[in-house]
Amino acid sequence: MDDQGCPRCKTTKYRNPSLKLMVNVCGHTLCENCVEMLFVRGSGNCVQCDTPLRKSNFRLQLFEDPAVDKEVEIRKKVLKIYNKRDLDFPSLSEYNDYLEQVEEIVFNLTNNLDVENTKQMMEQYQRDNRDIIQRNKAKLTREQEELEEILLMEQQDLEMKRLENLQEEQRHLHTKRKNKQALLDELESSHLPASLLLAQQKERAAQLGSQIEKQKQNVKPATIFSTGILMGQTVSLAPVARMEEALYQYQPLQIETYGPAVPELEQLTRLGYLNHVRMATQQDLAGGYTSGLACHRAVQDAFSGLFPCT
Amino acid sequence: MYHNSSQKKYWTFNKEANLENLRLEANQKFRAKALSLRKPGISESMFLDPHEEKVLFRHYEKRLLDFCTVFKPAMPKSVVGTACMYFRRFYLNNSLMEYHPRTIMLTCAYLSCKVDEFNVSSTQFVENLQENPAAQERALEQILEYELLLIQQLNFHLVIHNPYRPLEGFLIDLKTRYPLLENPEMLRKSAEDFLNRAAMTDAGLLFSPSQIALTAVLNSAARAGLNMETYLTECMGLKDEKETLSKMYDSMRRITTLLKEYELPKSNEVNICKQKLERIHTEFNSNTSLKRKHGYEDDDHVVKKPLVTEEEWTDEGLDLL
Repeated sequence: MDDQGCPRCKTTKYRNPSLKLMVNVCGHTLCENCVEMLFVRGSGNCVQCDTPLRKSNFRLQLFEDPAVDKEVEIRKKVLKIYNKRDLDFPSLSEYNDYLEQVEEIVFNLTNNLDVENTKQMMEQYQRDNRDIIQRNKAKLTREQEELEEILLMEQQDLEMKRLENLQEEQRHLHTKRKNKQALLDELESSHLPASLLLAQQKERAAQLGSQIEKQKQNVKPATIFSTGILMGQTVSLAPVARMEEALYQYQPLQIETYGPAVPELEQLTRLGYLNHVRMATQQDLAGGYTSGLACHRAVQDAFSGLFPCT
Repeated sequence: MYHNSSQKKYWTFNKEANLENLRLEANQKFRAKALSLRKPGISESMFLDPHEEKVLFRHYEKRLLDFCTVFKPAMPKSVVGTACMYFRRFYLNNSLMEYHPRTIMLTCAYLSCKVDEFNVSSTQFVENLQENPAAQERALEQILEYELLLIQQLNFHLVIHNPYRPLEGFLIDLKTRYPLLENPEMLRKSAEDFLNRAAMTDAGLLFSPSQIALTAVLNSAARAGLNMETYLTECMGLKDEKETLSKMYDSMRRITTLLKEYELPKSNEVNICKQKLERIHTEFNSNTSLKRKHGYEDDDHVVKKPLVTEEEWTDEGLDLL
């Protein structure tokens, strides 16, 4: 297997595992070092195809095939202009045609087919649809804002919960420590035997434990799923209304041969047909041929269309 | 199989009259086309009439058969039958005056070799013409030129069901189910002869290959003085179907008549028609050569254009648009 490598300095990923391959708009690879060296002045030509390139347009190659990187880059650009959505079209098929067109453009640009015309077409499209593109751009950002808002809210929620938990824990620690102190005080000042006091303490600790448990259970249940659906809401689990369709019924194939019935292939031997044809040789059999096949075909052809059609 | 083939659907006709009408139509179409050119010195008498066309057709069909029989390596019968049928179908809708039968005949044979999986190379094929290499080259060029036209005129229905396999089927069936006949093999010779003669008639356009084959078998038996009616009534299950049986006998009679009526055109008649044909072809078809129309030579449009060198194309550039 040929390893990925820089076509200029011939370094490969195998020899230098930290090799960073870069790719530019033309879809040809160079390693980071070569880029640094060749493009000191900010621009230059591609080593392989002589396309003028800018250093700032070099990207880290993410895919094994640099052509994929190129396509991703191109697609990003094309979709900036072709940003209509299905709601902008009166029918699904028109939307599909539009998507097809987008794919066509991306493919043409990626594979250097008819580049001039394609670019002209894109310019034309951009001029014709200026306001739709702007509108969709705005819409897109609004959608993004909404998404970010939701994310923010979720984060806040999480933060609050964390704080609550922290407080709770501190309270528990506090009470535990108080209990311990109380026990020590009692042992110091009480006249009762120590064992009794210890037992009492144990009981109290157990009570506390169960209390904590109870509290934990009392933590108010989440009201919202992580997907953002309210828990109380009953999601309809009833299956979508079943479409009533008739089951497929197998109908044996009926062919009108306009002739007498032909014996089945399996019955040829029994009926004695095969006594009158050349036996298949060992070599013929290897290919899956049997003398029955030829015989059957001949008889079929003989009977097919024999009777005059009415 | 024949019963769901394009042959049954599109190329089997009810009456001889239908075939005659089609041929007449083709003839008249060419006349109208030629007359519309308004060339000086053209008169109706110049053209071939349907009968003369038939004479020439028979002549060239015979030549096609002769060519096939001396063909080296030897051609299987089905290839010959297919070639014949192509020739017949082609001139059902086209006039001999429009396309010269000499080229079409070779094209038919060439195409049938391909379709029937009889593998000969194109150079091997033209080597069978008794000509010098230059002429062979020219013939090959013509064949290739007309091949696509032929396929188109056949309406892309290239599979031909010949009566030869059905004949084998009948012989096997006779041996198996009809012990009354002692030696069915003796029928083979004259039955095959019958089929070869049937190939030169319109039988293939009027009847199914199995009907022709059965006629060949029964005809051959009749010659040997055997009556095989019981084969039809017992083995074919036609005992109680008098109507079908009588219809079958009727079509068999029609096939036999077709064969009996066939006669090779007389050579002096052929020569007169040939002269006429040559005149017509030099008059009308010399300039409308099909050459370079069918895309054998001008393949260079398939050659890929050199890749357009990619220009600088950046984000900024696009945003400026």
